[in-house]
Amino acid sequence: MKELNNQDKVNFAVAVLRFRLGIIILVLVIILVINFLSPENFFSWKDNFVSKNINTDLTQQEYVYQPILFDTIDIKDGIHVPTGMVADTGVAEVIQNCGACHSLDLVKQNKATKEGWKEKIVWMQQTQKLWDLGAQEEIILKYLAKNYGPENSGRRKNLENIEWYKL
Amino acid sequence: MSNKNPSRRKFISRTTLAAFSALIGSKIVFGENIPEGINLLGLPETGDGEFVPGKSKELIVLGSQPWNAETPPHLLDPEITPADLLFVRNNGLVPEKFDLENWTLTIDGESVNKEKTFSLKELYTNFKHYSYNITIECAGNGRAEFNPSASGQQWALGAVGCCKWTGIRLKDVLNAVGIKDDAVYIGYYGADLHLSKDPTKVVISRGVPIKKAMEDETLLAWGMNDTSIPIMNGYPLRLVCGGWPASVSGKWLTRISVRNKVHDGEKMGEQSYRMPKYPVQPGAIIPDEDFEIIGSMPVKSLITFPKTGALITKGNSLIVKGHAWAGDLSISAVHVSIDFGVTWKTCELVDAVNRFAWQRWTAKIDLPEKGYYEVWAKATDSNGKSQPMVIPGWNPKGYLNNACHRIAVKQL
Repeated sequence: MKELNNQDKVNFAVAVLRFRLGIIILVLVIILVINFLSPENFFSWKDNFVSKNINTDLTQQEYVYQPILFDTIDIKDGIHVPTGMVADTGVAEVIQNCGACHSLDLVKQNKATKEGWKEKIVWMQQTQKLWDLGAQEEIILKYLAKNYGPENSGRRKNLENIEWYKL
Repeated sequence: MSNKNPSRRKFISRTTLAAFSALIGSKIVFGENIPEGINLLGLPETGDGEFVPGKSKELIVLGSQPWNAETPPHLLDPEITPADLLFVRNNGLVPEKFDLENWTLTIDGESVNKEKTFSLKELYTNFKHYSYNITIECAGNGRAEFNPSASGQQWALGAVGCCKWTGIRLKDVLNAVGIKDDAVYIGYYGADLHLSKDPTKVVISRGVPIKKAMEDETLLAWGMNDTSIPIMNGYPLRLVCGGWPASVSGKWLTRISVRNKVHDGEKMGEQSYRMPKYPVQPGAIIPDEDFEIIGSMPVKSLITFPKTGALITKGNSLIVKGHAWAGDLSISAVHVSIDFGVTWKTCELVDAVNRFAWQRWTAKIDLPEKGYYEVWAKATDSNGKSQPMVIPGWNPKGYLNNACHRIAVKQL
């Protein structure tokens, strides 16, 4: 067989390159045509609404809030453990009425006088469908004002609960 | 072990979940059909056993019904707040069903030419997409520091974040629908459910003046940090309107009304998201008519590095850094003090990548001797207004506390 001279080698290499380039262009054209005809096959609008991050993928999950049922057995060291509320006269009424709709964390965070707590109850009755508390209202108000009453924090508190660490 | 087939899920009955709930003694979230690979028994290891679904366990949970949680300031150090670290502020119950094919947004109200409803696909395909880094902050961020105590979620510092939001401009959609010259305000409606579970009760429906709604950066967003929005933050579609109380950026968006008067939706009236028109004495009782709606939020900053409590060895400088933002305005300067405000050092300040993005500030500090120090950061806005060092004007609902952020450090 005749040995290829340099010119033949170059021609051969160029032909191979042209062939490969042709294939690439062909593939690109096919992709573009399909994409033009039906863009969703490639870039679905929905992809942008579907999370790629497991932390945000909760679409199949359900959130179930379970109101806590009061039981004296749950009281330890003066605290109703499941809710963290101070165990004092009225805690059962607060847990049963307030905890029926919202987390008791919302109660624990707040501090107010008896009048202040009364205002919140009236607001909830006027706007949030809270029911008439009847004779329990006075018990609830006394409990809240005593255990979650106002404190004077001044114009600005010292920094508290600092966890020191070596930087 | 992961299961490639998403339709095959491990079914767990409600009874099993209730039993599990009793077992760990706390109220948390349960999936009727939790994807395989998620370890239920791993849950009690998360400290109090209570964390917000889909969010970092490092968020500080204020409550679970409704879900509210804030970010510890040192976790807000990245330029763009990671999705699982953005605070959660809910007034009602998060929607449980998300049917993307049938999710629609209706534009209606007195001031539209003709009511129009868009599918998510139409919004996505018919309008130009934009992305901006936008700071969102709850108007009640910092409420915990007011004295006398103000009613509501007791936010400390972290009801704020700056994410990359992607979507379409609200103005493009409103212009496509056609709005009348008498348009004054927009008001949103979302798919969340009232705590009383009454489907006819609106949880929250706020909005902004039409001028604010028509700004370039006011987005109908489906994207956050290059993926979809976490459910807790408004999936699959929400309003993002920077510089104003985060409550104007409605979540789980289904409807926007273009109003010919100031929007009168839920939590627009009485004292909600409103400030007294004049300075008031702490604890004063103010009539509703003396309040006005909060607009642009005041100048504020956070120290995001180091975390409070740093012990520094003698001879080492301390690099402190953080972010600053100022509602509709920009930041002109940030200063830090290590002597309780006696002297202030000017920080390096970086321009915002776009309007409403928070601005990075950095300073190098040398602590002169052994002892306890507080680093205070004070930002100044483009109108020359600065953050107060003590708690600003008391108001009944505890809004707009923009007092200097303080961290504690010691030189050993």
